Amino acid sequence: MKRSPARLVIALSVAAVLAIFILYTSIAGAGTPQISPSTLGQHHGEDVLLVGTVVGHVAGNAHAGGMRFLLKDDHGTEPARTRVLYSGSVPDLFRTGRQIVVEGTLRDGTFVAKPGSLVTKCPSKYTPAKSNT
Amino acid sequence: MAALGRAALLLSLGLVAYALVGGSFAAWKRRRRLALSAQNALLAAFATTLVAAIVLWIALWRRDLSFVYVAQHTSRSLPLGYALSAFWGGQEGSLLLWLLVLTGYSALAVWLNRRSRDLVAWTVPVLGGVGVFFAFMLCFVSSPFDTAAAPADGAGMVPSLQNPYMLAHPPMLYLGYVGLTIPFAFAMGSLLARRSDERWIVATRRWTLTAWTFLGVGQLLGAHWAYVEIGWGGYYAWDPVENAALMPWLVATAFLHSVMIQEKRGMLKVWNVTLVALAFCLSVFGTFLTRSGVISSIHSFSQSPIGGWFLGFLAIVIVFSVGLIYLRLPLLKARTKLESLISREATFLYNNLLLVALALTILWGVVYPLLTQAVNGTTRSVSKPYYDFFLHSFGLPLLLLMGIGPLVAWRRASLRALGKTFAIPAAVAVVTGGALLGAGLGSSLPGLLAYTFSAFVAASIALEFVRGRRATGSITRLVARNRRRYGGYLVHAAVVLLAIGIAGSSAYQTVRERSLQPGQAMQVDGYTLTYESLGTRQLQNAQQTSAVVDLSRGHSHIATLHPGKSWFPVEQSSSNDVSIYHDPRNLGDVYTIADGIAKNGTLDLKVLVKPLVNLVWAAGFVFVFGSLVAMWPDAVEQRRLVERYAALPV
Amino acid sequence: MTLALVLGAALAVLAVVAVARPFLREPVTASDALDEPGELERRRLALAEERDQALYALKELEFDHRTGKISDEDYRRLVGPLRRSAAEALRALEPRAEARHARVAKPS
Repeated sequence: MKRSPARLVIALSVAAVLAIFILYTSIAGAGTPQISPSTLGQHHGEDVLLVGTVVGHVAGNAHAGGMRFLLKDDHGTEPARTRVLYSGSVPDLFRTGRQIVVEGTLRDGTFVAKPGSLVTKCPSKYTPAKSNT
Repeated sequence: MAALGRAALLLSLGLVAYALVGGSFAAWKRRRRLALSAQNALLAAFATTLVAAIVLWIALWRRDLSFVYVAQHTSRSLPLGYALSAFWGGQEGSLLLWLLVLTGYSALAVWLNRRSRDLVAWTVPVLGGVGVFFAFMLCFVSSPFDTAAAPADGAGMVPSLQNPYMLAHPPMLYLGYVGLTIPFAFAMGSLLARRSDERWIVATRRWTLTAWTFLGVGQLLGAHWAYVEIGWGGYYAWDPVENAALMPWLVATAFLHSVMIQEKRGMLKVWNVTLVALAFCLSVFGTFLTRSGVISSIHSFSQSPIGGWFLGFLAIVIVFSVGLIYLRLPLLKARTKLESLISREATFLYNNLLLVALALTILWGVVYPLLTQAVNGTTRSVSKPYYDFFLHSFGLPLLLLMGIGPLVAWRRASLRALGKTFAIPAAVAVVTGGALLGAGLGSSLPGLLAYTFSAFVAASIALEFVRGRRATGSITRLVARNRRRYGGYLVHAAVVLLAIGIAGSSAYQTVRERSLQPGQAMQVDGYTLTYESLGTRQLQNAQQTSAVVDLSRGHSHIATLHPGKSWFPVEQSSSNDVSIYHDPRNLGDVYTIADGIAKNGTLDLKVLVKPLVNLVWAAGFVFVFGSLVAMWPDAVEQRRLVERYAALPV
Repeated sequence: MTLALVLGAALAVLAVVAVARPFLREPVTASDALDEPGELERRRLALAEERDQALYALKELEFDHRTGKISDEDYRRLVGPLRRSAAEALRALEPRAEARHARVAKPS
């Protein structure tokens, strides 16, 4: 009886998967870092995911000129506040006091967000509130 | 009444613990009456858990706000249907639902297989063990029966959950997730009983198929809910909680296929027990992800202690499964070997490798933030581009394989015969691909490939039916005599529809956003949308503001859409009300979102034209139908199986 | 409150009865041994599965041939060995038929 090629197939497949994997991660980079407002200063100019809680008054219009609000750390008592400028779809659950994640870059003291990247964390289970495209 | 609920759950815990301990002792020391007693304990656990569930349902019905759980998830003005569905709207209730389904399934599975006494003797303690974890959590860590002074009114239900799809989505998912426990328990039971036959597969084949179908339907319901209720224009966002259901489903799909090989050729025994354990672990991991808050997800809430317990349980399950499989390796020797790389066995093997690879890359993406946090302090995460890349890399070959598999014979396929059977489907695919390229669909390579491969698979399946009918005389006789094969082909057809729907609605969609004043219009992909006016109306527990938007093509009016927002005063939050037009012309949708409604009447309108998206939902129906055909009892096969195991005293 | 108490007590009693039932029905028994398949039974089961696998493979071969997936020459080449292995499995099961009723129960 011929020797079973099954092991060869499996070994080659695993190698192929790893190859695709390594190829992808080396080209596309290794993920986007999640940063909170207190450590954002170290990532000036980088594309990051800013994670925090909305504080203070929300001004402006996300569809005309941009929405402005302040963000603080989710946990802890860091005094750092980041100014965020956001345009695009705003999820229903968004308001002061909610935890959010938004992608963008820190430029000249203001965090300029990628349009449509605002995601509000839901306050209870099973309730998503997204605005991805 | 809460005390009754607590007592019932304590009884459940006692009963499953007895099933675990007494059952293990009985199986080990071969005590018949004790084994039967442990079995009865498992059955009784369903009854006690049902009582606890009824207590909670009655409390929800009556809006008994002295129950903390009821106060947190309902309100006096919440419609009854949603109040009852709040059963699974929160942590504690959903754990109770899990235990209810688990004990129900366990009771039924054990009862149906009670004649296989030595197999069941070991399966009962495994099921008991799983039950102990959930019952323990419900009794001491996360109880739905905590009481407090009743507030004036409940917190209400988050508006986006007040939707018919949310009534059905969690129960469907749980019927799927928990269903994977049964094949796992029987597999482990078989190993513990030192049996090397396929009885456990025969006993659990329909269970696996049923659980897998529920899990698939549950995910489609969730996707549809997200599409119509959350309203961002999509139906899947690679959120960890969505992935939590997809991963076990992919592994279960692999298992369904490879288990057929073990049944027919006696191969892949070690692979199958490993797969079923992996599927079960992923389903526990999935529910851990949804609850623990350990991975930043829009579904997760603040860091919950419950995560630690789940992780501990998962660790025990992994150690137990790996250890047991390792110890029983000598029992799991294959009867035959793979003869050719071009055979149906081989295509099943490739399909398995692709499915498991896809599941593992998704798993990697899900835990990536945890790993990066642990390794160098910063949390990094991956998103859509990562998942899309691997979905294309593994999903497209899988799609192609679905068309190749049926054309290949068992053991070894002759290349000449293969060439002949391949000819027509390949020709169909090439022609389709060329035509689509000509029509301008080359803008997306994955989209074009998805369509072309789908054409290949569709032609291959159609030919199977044609050839089969020629061989047996009629379609009904063909399907009746080959239920698994042709049921499987129908399920493949459903996957093809799904692939076409996904490709059309993502690779070939058009998105436009404009700010409009009343009377203004916008053009999207040949459609004209005119914002006419604004209106408000009062619902039972919300105030709805919507825009009247006219949809036309050229000068002919097609439909009137009403995108808007609703404000729920009790819950103090608003929800997006999207308005969708289903276009029969392209089986797609014109999807409108009122992103912003200003006080002066300015409407920020977002429009998505999504071709072929309705195929995604149609696929669900074909999927269920195909699955039913595949699991429909076959009298001839049943007789043979009964005869095979009948003479055995056990 | 009393209703809850009564129901709870009833539930507890039912649970205990369910668990104790096997012992209540047979307080003394000749054999409390949990049967398991003996060596003979296991071999018979393995043979039965082999027989069914061979028969199924034959059925699939016929079907694949009739629907054109296997060429005539391949069919001729494969059907012989398959029929032989099916016949062998069937023959091997014959003498086991008498052993079917001899139960081998391990003492507990």
